[in-house]
Amino acid sequence: MAQASKRIRNFSIIAHIDHGKSTLADRLIEYTGALSAREMEAQVLDSMDLERERGITIKLQAVRLSYRAQDGEVYELNLIDTPGHVDFTYEVSRSLAACEGALLVVDAAQGIEAQTLANVYLALENNLEIVPVINKIDLPSAEPERVKQEIEDVIGLDASEAILASAKTGIGVAEILEAIVTKMPPPSGDDSSPLKALIFDSHFDAYKGAISYVRVMEGRVAKGTQIKMMSTNKVFEVTEVGVFAPAMRIVDELKAGQVGFIAASIKNVKDTQVGDTITDAERPALFPLPGYRKATPMVFCGLYPVDSGDYDRLRDALEKLHLNDASLVFEPETSAALGFGYRCGFLGLLHMEIIQERLEREYDLNLITTAPSVIYQVQKTDGEMLKVDNPANLPPAAEIESIAEPVVKATIMTPSEFVGAIMELNQEKRGSYVNMEYLSVNRVSLIYELPLSEIVYDYFDQLKSRTKGYASLDYELAGYKEADLVKLDILVGGDIVDALSFIVHKDKAYVRGRKMAEKLREIIPRQMFEVPIQAVIGSRVIARETIRAMRKDVLAKCYGGDISRKRKLLEKQKEGKKRMKQVGNVEIPQDAFMAVLELEE
Amino acid sequence: MNASADKIERRPALYVHVPFCIKKCDYCAFYSLPAGNQNRSLVKIYLEGLAAEMHRRQKDAPSGVSSLFIGGGTPTALTEAGLEELLKGIHNYFRFEAGIPEKTVEGNPGTLTPEKLSLLHAYGINRFSLGVQSFDDGLLRRVGRIHSADDARRGIQALRNSGFRNLNLDLMFGLPGQDLAAWRKTVEEALAWQPEHLSLYGLMLEEGTPLYRAENDITLGRLPDDDLQADMYEWAVVRLEQAGYKRYETSNFARPGYECRHNLAYWHGEEYLGLGPGAVSFQGRARIKNIEDLRKYREMANTGAQAVAEREELSKQDLMFERVMLGLRLAEGLELKAFTRDFGVKVEDIYARVLEKYEKQGILKREKGYLKLNPDYCFIANSILHEFSPLTKGKGRGNVMA
Repeated sequence: MAQASKRIRNFSIIAHIDHGKSTLADRLIEYTGALSAREMEAQVLDSMDLERERGITIKLQAVRLSYRAQDGEVYELNLIDTPGHVDFTYEVSRSLAACEGALLVVDAAQGIEAQTLANVYLALENNLEIVPVINKIDLPSAEPERVKQEIEDVIGLDASEAILASAKTGIGVAEILEAIVTKMPPPSGDDSSPLKALIFDSHFDAYKGAISYVRVMEGRVAKGTQIKMMSTNKVFEVTEVGVFAPAMRIVDELKAGQVGFIAASIKNVKDTQVGDTITDAERPALFPLPGYRKATPMVFCGLYPVDSGDYDRLRDALEKLHLNDASLVFEPETSAALGFGYRCGFLGLLHMEIIQERLEREYDLNLITTAPSVIYQVQKTDGEMLKVDNPANLPPAAEIESIAEPVVKATIMTPSEFVGAIMELNQEKRGSYVNMEYLSVNRVSLIYELPLSEIVYDYFDQLKSRTKGYASLDYELAGYKEADLVKLDILVGGDIVDALSFIVHKDKAYVRGRKMAEKLREIIPRQMFEVPIQAVIGSRVIARETIRAMRKDVLAKCYGGDISRKRKLLEKQKEGKKRMKQVGNVEIPQDAFMAVLELEE
Repeated sequence: MNASADKIERRPALYVHVPFCIKKCDYCAFYSLPAGNQNRSLVKIYLEGLAAEMHRRQKDAPSGVSSLFIGGGTPTALTEAGLEELLKGIHNYFRFEAGIPEKTVEGNPGTLTPEKLSLLHAYGINRFSLGVQSFDDGLLRRVGRIHSADDARRGIQALRNSGFRNLNLDLMFGLPGQDLAAWRKTVEEALAWQPEHLSLYGLMLEEGTPLYRAENDITLGRLPDDDLQADMYEWAVVRLEQAGYKRYETSNFARPGYECRHNLAYWHGEEYLGLGPGAVSFQGRARIKNIEDLRKYREMANTGAQAVAEREELSKQDLMFERVMLGLRLAEGLELKAFTRDFGVKVEDIYARVLEKYEKQGILKREKGYLKLNPDYCFIANSILHEFSPLTKGKGRGNVMA
């Protein structure tokens, strides 16, 4: 093994949203001088606007720090950032696999959350050395001793040497850096072995093509190396390798233990799948690194341009986003109500919202998003098995033998006082109880099996509101289960609007149908004529509402002095209408198509 | 109605803005200052500035003007001397077309003295528009009017006695706390006075006005909702037609032959000169708004510059849209021939899709050379009108320069 890799440490930070991960990362960067404070924009790692607004990390990033430790040596520390949301568990697992250690950051006042715990388990699976950091100790409500106890009870880690820190004020930063060097092991790969580099992220550059973010596990890679993607056997020639300092900086080569990027004129990010192994085409490794899996979307929705003329722009935009996000899948679909659009698959609801927002913001598209759906497995009476990701495509009831829906194993961590409320919620959401464990005197971990469709529906919001925001949720897919499901159609002005159809459990169909009709009556503005709204199952009407005809929509006066103003008022009105979709004779606002998510029960 | 005959000589309509009121009403967003003794000097500034503006802009009407409308504010809030100076100036600087051009002065009850009225007659003012708004004292107080219903009655009497044979009454509906019964009472009383013309306005809450700020003040009484306002309007339309008043424009009703020619000029897309602070002109393709600040207005007028606050060059698309917007508010509709003449394209050619959509539903129809809105849709006209707006789909903000 080359001597140099002894002075490398690859680590990531595991933390719940808001527990201070980004701030801590900033402090580490600042302290090691990778950027001067003046150069630093707040929270360097969260670079997408959306991430800043939401205070979460969506895209992974990496940064290399140079740190002179107390032993006098200069160490290369590679911080690999992880996304902090349940939608991106797989990405987290791959970036953890690129590390030897992790800082476990826990809020001194709030303790461990479900998401943190899930990621700690991922880190332990990857044999990472975990260094506990108790953050925000400057808060008056900080209870570091209780949190230490919790870390020991819940995770079983020795927390006696946990570092007390405040990323905000800089307390503990020096100890953290020293602990990274002294407690975490250096990488162990051999740089003379055949190349094995783990892709933990990628991004698309208009000039250089898809750029892989890698951790080199074995061997070396340099400009000119013929590399092979082990999942697809595709071969590319390396044009550049480099490191994140934190800006991308070209270096001569990357070798075992190091973290950096590889550019190889790769035209499609699909060819740089997260989790895949890059090897040397001329001297390939025998086996890829373990753990690769193709990203599988769990949540689907239809995306339609409000203006059908934007269809091509939508396709271009989806393709561009896909360049940077291989987990986004899409294929064309047609809706009788909405025209031509795309059925898109996402890792989860947050992922869906992010894509939708980026399409609207970065590509200036005006979109209608249909309510999210999961994939149902439909057993037809003729023996055929269908996968249905769009409720409109469900066959007629007479042709259906049975329907199975995806279920998840959900872990909810909560202060014990909310156990009752959560059980009640899970009951409403058709959950079945699996297990309950006391993590400490007043903290409980609840495990339930829940239909994914119910999670997609307003579960998370409900959980937060019923537990005053204290409960946290993590889930993983746990297979398919048969259920008594029916399709609920909505008629607006007498015509079925296919994009409003949804699949629902029979026991809830009546209530949801009624709420949906009421909600649509509120959302759809009065039109020039009366508009009936009906919720139907098959041919049976289960709810009916009426939107009365509009009576007043007129300019009060129109004299010489204000003609311009009145003209602009009408222009604005037209502008507003652009956010509506004309379905038959009725103008339906965008949010109507998501109304099903907002039916309080 | 045929405006095109006059067009050959291009005589603009003349509007003169008098920015003074005894007190501004709570719903009013026009430029106006309190008149009164303490403000003599302001009136002086105004009249000086106006004289300078008239001097400079008389060239904009080389063949004279077609009609006059002195509005405000409250023109009759000026003193007799002020009013005389104003009228004299206008008639000094501007020629009127031959015959009996329409000359309107606007005023409020409580500001009409026999002396002022005979002064108006002396200058050929032949139409008076009185801001009655309501015959309900409670409602008048609530919207900050300074006069009572009795003041209005006395005003009408005085106007008739002084010989005005063309009288308009402004009435408002949708006032806070107003119900259908109260509105009917006001309309009935207005009809009893047998004016030649009636304007019915729905109250608009304009940003920046006291009433806008008081929107949530329940002591004022609830604002009638859209349905009630529609009931008020629709009832009045039927009642007025019964009484012999034709709705010739969405908000305006007249006995045959008493349609306001000055306002028709606006609605037919003709040019107009607006003089005074805050007044708006429409010349060529430009809509120009004068500066509202009185002192700046005079300063600039004195230097020979036009005191412009905003100037907007309208694109052909804008102009066409305005013509449709205004034309469809008229009972006679939009004159198709005039449209083709002025824009070189046919309405049918550029708005084919919208026409097809609404003609099929019986909401628009072409008849005897006019495009008309079905009167049943008059009170929801915006839902149709906005579709003629040049804002086109997608990215293009539609301001295609002609």
